[in-house]
Amino acid sequence: MDAFYASVEQRDNPALRGRPVAVGGDPTTRGVVAAASYEARTFGVRSAIPMSRAVRLCPSLVIVRPDFQKYRAVSQQVFALFREVTPLVEPLSLDEAYLDVTANSWGEPLGVTVARRLKDAIKETTRLTASAGVAPNKFLAKIASGWKKPDGLTVVAPERVELFLKGLPVDALWGVGPVTAAKLREHGIDKLTDVRTRSQADLEAVVGSLAPWLIDLAHGRDERRVQPNRPSKSSSSERTYATDLSGMSEIRQEIDKMARDVAAWLQKRGITARTVTIKVRYSDFTTVTRSHSTPLLTDDADAIAARALALLAKTEAGARPVRLLGVGVHNLDTDEDEAPSAELKLPFS
Amino acid sequence: MELVARKADLVRELQFFQQIVERKNTIPILANVLLEASGNEVTLLATDLEVALRSRCEAAVGKPGSVTLPAKKFYEVVRSLPDGDVNIETDKGGTTVKVSGGQFSSKMPTLPREDFPSLPEAGGGAKATIKGKSLAQMVAKTQFAITGEDTRYYLNGAQFVLRADSMTFVATDGHRLALVNVNHEGAKGDEIKAILPRKTLAELGRLLADGDVEVKYERGENHLFFEIGPRLLISRMIDGQFPAYEKVIPKGNDKHVEFERDRLTQAVKRVAILSNERSRAVKMVLDKGKVEVTSSSPEFGEAREPIAIEYTGPALTICFNAQYVLDFLAVVETDVVALELKDDVSQAVMKPVGADGYDYTYVIMPMRV
Repeated sequence: MDAFYASVEQRDNPALRGRPVAVGGDPTTRGVVAAASYEARTFGVRSAIPMSRAVRLCPSLVIVRPDFQKYRAVSQQVFALFREVTPLVEPLSLDEAYLDVTANSWGEPLGVTVARRLKDAIKETTRLTASAGVAPNKFLAKIASGWKKPDGLTVVAPERVELFLKGLPVDALWGVGPVTAAKLREHGIDKLTDVRTRSQADLEAVVGSLAPWLIDLAHGRDERRVQPNRPSKSSSSERTYATDLSGMSEIRQEIDKMARDVAAWLQKRGITARTVTIKVRYSDFTTVTRSHSTPLLTDDADAIAARALALLAKTEAGARPVRLLGVGVHNLDTDEDEAPSAELKLPFS
Repeated sequence: MELVARKADLVRELQFFQQIVERKNTIPILANVLLEASGNEVTLLATDLEVALRSRCEAAVGKPGSVTLPAKKFYEVVRSLPDGDVNIETDKGGTTVKVSGGQFSSKMPTLPREDFPSLPEAGGGAKATIKGKSLAQMVAKTQFAITGEDTRYYLNGAQFVLRADSMTFVATDGHRLALVNVNHEGAKGDEIKAILPRKTLAELGRLLADGDVEVKYERGENHLFFEIGPRLLISRMIDGQFPAYEKVIPKGNDKHVEFERDRLTQAVKRVAILSNERSRAVKMVLDKGKVEVTSSSPEFGEAREPIAIEYTGPALTICFNAQYVLDFLAVVETDVVALELKDDVSQAVMKPVGADGYDYTYVIMPMRV
């Protein structure tokens, strides 16, 4: 998405359109710019710079406090569109993702057509523009996506990869920051293809473990797959005891305390969970888990503790000595599979 | 093969085949209908390998035999003919078939009869006789809740359970569930359970649309057979375990509201116009003596419509996909419908009030507000 947070704000507030806008923190404290509109960028305002500096660069800058709930909702709309096209969507952030469209649900043979249709769908759904890069691998697609902005579409066809690589400065690479770039330049490496002229050992002396990666990229090689599997989000608390516990009241106390810990974790983050799980490891190291799900999301400490204690009754804890206890929460309301649609599912199991 | 049949008879039968034949024509013969002429009738047959339909109509058979014809074009041609007789005749050489009527004549390519798949035969399985009206009612009240393309293939159909004294159809797409129970005067040992594909339900709906008929039902090893008058519908069964649906039907919904069905339908339809196009979310804001149906979306604005109801419980706001609510309202016949709720995140239940001879439960998961 182009200047994502700033564009959302400009979309929702006509007074901001055409003006330099920065979304971020307070310039009088240590706020930084989270996103800058294209108008602000012409003044040199970019994301991650201190807001105080942004204001000096652009005195007419309009500062808007971020509304992440809103950005997340828009992000969910965009990701829902992505997932209609392919399940192979790897999010990089709220507003950026890799999509493997080799096979896509539209049956489009050309990646560029998929990109064009997606851009249109995004515009229609969110009234925001996005920029896309279409290329045979992730690294090239990433660079291509930033090639023309806003509302850009850059294609690097396989037969044009070499030409494209030759034009790239070394700091166009993701993972090569200004410091690394400066080091490389010191050694006469300005362009990515210059990397090819150096041995791996020479490069390692300059950039360390980054060298093999850099060599691959200099040849346009990137075998990384698009990884749609996001780690499932959960939180748990567990403890191994120095001496095995066998007193039921003591075990219950421990479970109760850990349940309240995870509830506090949820409350602190403003999220809620559907599933409570407990883990019990007996003195002979056999381990059991028990879990309980409800359609109702909760972060309530009493409720979570009560459910954890009820689960405890489904184990042999107490009857058998216990060396480890744990309590966890899963199926959080932040789980993205649920998020694009607010439609709840029937609790079949 | 040579035969003469009445246009009206042919059209009536051929229309039932239009949804059966394969659209995506991956196997050419599946786009064709097989005609077999013998005695004083012609048998028609088509299949997509999931569902097959056999039917027949009266004909004066000159030369017995069989041909296959493209089902769509054959239907279009016959339908457009003037009322009266239709002549169907294999051409010399056997690669084309003449279809003529009135001043019109045509030749259509045929595919070899041998290419036509052989169909499973009924016989030997559990049998029952069902009232066509009951079956039609169960199909209509569940088929819309079948999921679209779901990887959980067992949800791509409705479960049919036949017992000695009752029949059940149940379908779900994971967000809502439609369950209908109808009395059945059967024999002991009638118990049959099977998952029917979506296409079978749609075809059953069409075949049962006219008049009250007896349906002879039989379950084979992998197929189900529905004999409906002169027509036989054969359906593959979906192999799989239907989810334990009883578990998701809530028991403790303590808030009960009744609506005039038409009143609620109109309100939801109107309010849904300004709902978010993707989510189709409408809220029902319950308070003493009224419910307000509301919607809002950044693009289209907002809408609201209050409906007076008898309600004295606590205030509650619950959000539904408007389509899910309308789907239910479109298939119930009673003047009054009930909505039973527990809270804004648990399953809601909708039911017809005063339904005669059947029991219909529609479970909807709310949307997060």
